[in-house]
Amino acid sequence: MSDVSVVSGGPRASSYALQQLARAFNANATSWIGLVTFLLVVALALLAPLISPYDPLDQDILARLQGPSAAHWFGTDSYGRDILSRLLWGARLSLVISTVSILAAVVIGGIIGILAGYIGGRFDMVVMQAMDVLLSFPSLIMGLMVVAMLGASMGNLMIAIALTAIAPFARIARAPTILVKERDYIEACRALGYSDLRIMAIHILPNIVAEILVMASLWLATAIRIEASLSFIGLGVRPPTATWGGMIREGFENILDSASLSVFPSLAILLVVFSLNMLGDGLRDAIDPKLRGGE
Amino acid sequence: MSSAGPPALDNEGTRSLGRAARSAVRGEHTTAPILAVENLVTTFRTGGGWHAAVRDVSFVVQHNETLAIVGESGCGKSVTALSIMGLVPPGNGRVAGGQIHFGGRDLVALDEEEMRKIRGDRISMIFQEPMTSLNPVLTIGFQVAEALSYHRDMGRREAAATALELLEQVKIPSARQRFDDYPHQFSGGMRQRVMIAMALACRPELLLADEPTTALDVTIQAEVLALLAELKAAYGMAMIFITHNLGVVASIADRVAAMYAGEIVEIAPVNELFARPTHPYTELLLRSIPRVDRDTAGLSVIAGQVPAIGAMPTGCRFAQRCPLRQPICTERDPILVPLPDAPDHHVRCWVRAAPGEGRRA
Repeated sequence: MSDVSVVSGGPRASSYALQQLARAFNANATSWIGLVTFLLVVALALLAPLISPYDPLDQDILARLQGPSAAHWFGTDSYGRDILSRLLWGARLSLVISTVSILAAVVIGGIIGILAGYIGGRFDMVVMQAMDVLLSFPSLIMGLMVVAMLGASMGNLMIAIALTAIAPFARIARAPTILVKERDYIEACRALGYSDLRIMAIHILPNIVAEILVMASLWLATAIRIEASLSFIGLGVRPPTATWGGMIREGFENILDSASLSVFPSLAILLVVFSLNMLGDGLRDAIDPKLRGGE
Repeated sequence: MSSAGPPALDNEGTRSLGRAARSAVRGEHTTAPILAVENLVTTFRTGGGWHAAVRDVSFVVQHNETLAIVGESGCGKSVTALSIMGLVPPGNGRVAGGQIHFGGRDLVALDEEEMRKIRGDRISMIFQEPMTSLNPVLTIGFQVAEALSYHRDMGRREAAATALELLEQVKIPSARQRFDDYPHQFSGGMRQRVMIAMALACRPELLLADEPTTALDVTIQAEVLALLAELKAAYGMAMIFITHNLGVVASIADRVAAMYAGEIVEIAPVNELFARPTHPYTELLLRSIPRVDRDTAGLSVIAGQVPAIGAMPTGCRFAQRCPLRQPICTERDPILVPLPDAPDHHVRCWVRAAPGEGRRA
């Protein structure tokens, strides 16, 4: 670029990190497919009260365990509840649980990772070893422990998922922090007298936020899977509230009578996990070489 | 290599110029210097031991004065600057001795919190690498305004307005349109201007410029130097200009300190130093500048290299490379003494400036 002023055309995104993400997006078709699919699921979940054909809790004992039909597109469960309606309502719960828990993990893990990477030394060692301990628990064991200690509820389910995801986010935030803190512009920040807190929050965080967002999209899928697994073994949200994991469990008990009971929620989970993974993988592939090397 | 000093007769004019400069400097001695570094020792940990990267460095900087520190890579120029800023990387380095007097206080004794209030506000620093010294994810307008709002009690809008003024002062073309651009949309010279704007945002009393033009094209270098000189005059600040480029020194400095292997070997007003470089190192350094007005076959080079930080010789640190070496040079450390006929020209050399001899060798 020349010294002569060049007024760049077009509107500017407010954040450089978002520009990077947008560029990565356009470079990668699979991330578009993933995003569109996921947004479709989110839209269906949001519209559940309007579009679901039945109340998800309405029982119709006479019509129990039916296969797909014109009246019940995806069939009915052992209480005669409409599976499509329960799927739509269950999507709301699954998405809320996974989003909230991953959001908590991003914030807590991100703070831990940036602190550890920035401070370094013994603090870094102790904190990251604690994270390794956390990481060594499989998510189901962690879920069992949390629920055994605090009881089965939606809140505790979110705590359990967040706990398993904190350590990975601490790691994903720490690595780029270590790279970025050695850059000249951080030295320049110190020369301007900025406090460590300001340097971390204003100068390091925007540099690593794209990588954290990519990781978050991948972990959202994992969170949905964990939620389903914990609900499946009965540690999730209590019946009769519809969740995808809970529906699979109910379907599992009646699998010989009606396969559709567990097949449709399984397909729903598959669809969401698959779309989020496509989204995250596509973003990661596109973003890695660009961000790692800096500008 | 010809021995001894510079020609004595034909530089009378230059010398009287030197004297004029000197008396000007003396005139300012009535007020206290803005910065006084005394016996600064900064050590670094290498290979298990602590070794001095800067040893026994003393100098003063007067108000409105530009002191240039010259020397080859690794001679301790930048470490001296970082020591003044209190930015010696903790853990691997530390200021092990000496005092740095600024604004009536000893910066070495200040804690991090107090030092932070001085950095960027009363003492600023600009760095060598404009390409990497700006945060790539923040707009330049934000970065300049941030320096203001951090040290001054300024609202967002006021800081942005002042930042725009600063960008105009450092001559960023169409500053208003480019206020929200990111650093990668700027050239190296423009980025260095932005760095200067950030460093000068709070109107510091002292600016440390660590090779600010080294990474730039020659033409851009000249522009940035002119800008620095202009702003220095406008803001009435003192400047320490670190460089290995003697051509730059001649154009910007009032006084020059030559450093070698962590020590100041010679310090003198700029005209005096260029007219009669007295330390053999300074002399050789000056002789290695390419000149267009002299018809020479080649450039002279200084044979050998700077001794490693962990293996400093006893006696004069330049002795191994020195054409004038005497037995005493490798036995005892020379001290920085004023020349008998030029009290503000200090030299650290047994041969050329032996203390107490009352004459130059």
